Amino acid sequence: MRHPTEGVLRRLVDEPAGVADADRRHVADCAQCLSEVASLQQDATLVGAALATAGTSDVEAGWQRLQAAAHSARPPAAHPARAQAVPQPRTSRYRAFLRRPAAAALGVAVVLAGAGTAAANDWVKIFRTEQVAPISFSTSDLVSLPDLEAYGNLEITKETRVRTVPGAGVAAAQSGLDVPEVAGLPRGVTGDPVYQVGEEAAATFTFSPERAAEAAAQAGEPLPPEPAGLDGSSVRLVAGPGVAQIWTSSSGLPALVVGRAVAPTAYSSGVPFETVRDYLLSLPGLPTEIAAQLRTFTADGSTLPLPVPSDQVSTRTEQVDGHQATVLTTRDRLLSAVVWVEDGVVTVVGGALDDDELLDVARGLT
Amino acid sequence: MAVAAAAAVRADPAGAATERWAERRGRGEVSGTARGSSSGPVRADLEEVFRRDYERVVGVAARVLGARDEAEDVAQEVFLSFGRSNVPAAEARGWLSVAAAHTALNLLRSGRRRASREETAAAADSPVVSDVAEAVVTLEERRRVRAALARLPRKSAVALVLRHSGLSYADVATALDLSLGSVGTTVRRAESALRKELNRHASSD
Repeated sequence: MRHPTEGVLRRLVDEPAGVADADRRHVADCAQCLSEVASLQQDATLVGAALATAGTSDVEAGWQRLQAAAHSARPPAAHPARAQAVPQPRTSRYRAFLRRPAAAALGVAVVLAGAGTAAANDWVKIFRTEQVAPISFSTSDLVSLPDLEAYGNLEITKETRVRTVPGAGVAAAQSGLDVPEVAGLPRGVTGDPVYQVGEEAAATFTFSPERAAEAAAQAGEPLPPEPAGLDGSSVRLVAGPGVAQIWTSSSGLPALVVGRAVAPTAYSSGVPFETVRDYLLSLPGLPTEIAAQLRTFTADGSTLPLPVPSDQVSTRTEQVDGHQATVLTTRDRLLSAVVWVEDGVVTVVGGALDDDELLDVARGLT
Repeated sequence: MAVAAAAAVRADPAGAATERWAERRGRGEVSGTARGSSSGPVRADLEEVFRRDYERVVGVAARVLGARDEAEDVAQEVFLSFGRSNVPAAEARGWLSVAAAHTALNLLRSGRRRASREETAAAADSPVVSDVAEAVVTLEERRRVRAALARLPRKSAVALVLRHSGLSYADVATALDLSLGSVGTTVRRAESALRKELNRHASSD
């Protein structure tokens, strides 16, 4: 019979019972396999010893720390012995940072979209983004943010297809945008960026009283009385096209992203914006704190609200080339982004870098 | 929308691991992420799972990082993430182990650790001695092994660490979506790569 594979022999070291009888019988009588097993065993032992660390952990102390962290709704405190430098996984957060928030941002923006009285069946431009403003809420609020699908039909009418293009020239030609040039890369970021272009994206949210009633019933609360004309009202959000330059770190994840896109513009049909907004905000499931914050947004519509978990991200305002920019930094200071809008074009400089480094990049864009 | 997406910063501990988990569970279901939860910020079985699996989760991260205090930080982050997730209880151990391994590997690869950390931690501990006397590994060797671990393909590194943290071959296969038969091969290849970093017995085979 053929010798069992190396993988089988390796398992024999750890879990002999998991290896087929025939293979075990073979190995028992095969000097070559026995020698191989001995060698595998020795390597496993050495590697195991190299990876092992001495000591045990205090489960009770760990649990107390976790409870404190969970209750204060803040990221876990640093180990007391080294509160100065908390190494945390930059890259995994970065991945989340890039992928997650699209739906949330779109969702909130759609809630806020729609202003003024629009003629029936006519799309009327409500706003063109001229400013970015973060809305803070805590993570516990974030997970309980109502899925707009529960209240109506959120239809992505134009999905962004992001594709990689060979260079800045092609990116500019295909997106119709000026591709910003980075004057000097921050320390630790090297090489050439990958250029990506995304087309225009659009989504339409149409309120559905049936779905809203269902959602309310699930929340165990009555559906508030529906304002006249809301049934079938739609708001439409259009964003893009956009272009991004991405510098990748050695781990394969983005280290620096410089992105630019035509900022979202909202259109409305049907009832006045205030009516839609206030009604959606009154629906069961939306934390009252967020509702209060959302209410402060007015219908003049120049502002793109940015949902920001206040327990994990801090924000401040800086100037970039005479424009007001929002600087977002995670509380552990591992990820930052600078966002500003100029003439209806939003630019983002983000990455696993200090906010000051990113501000330097942002201010150096040409 | 890519830009608008990037603009909305949302930090998520152990995000890569949970996303991988979610990918495996099928897009859209988002099992094992905070987004799927609607019942409140912290799941009810958190304490039970924490007390049962904390030591193992720290162990997974410590094998990657070689420093117990850093491993405890990783464990905190992973459990905090788990507490806000809706990972089925039966899959908790695998999920936690994978998340701890990914989070620790990210940290190891980030190069942002304090250079002296591992050294200090290792010096404070007594030299690691396994039941095999010859398996006393020097500090320098341990450092090289970890550097090699950071260079391994992600799945190999995680499989190796999970296996050495006491997960069975079946557990490793489930957690990493590998076939049971390929776990041994994956672990062996990883060990072979790390073994090259150990001077001792280099020609004893």
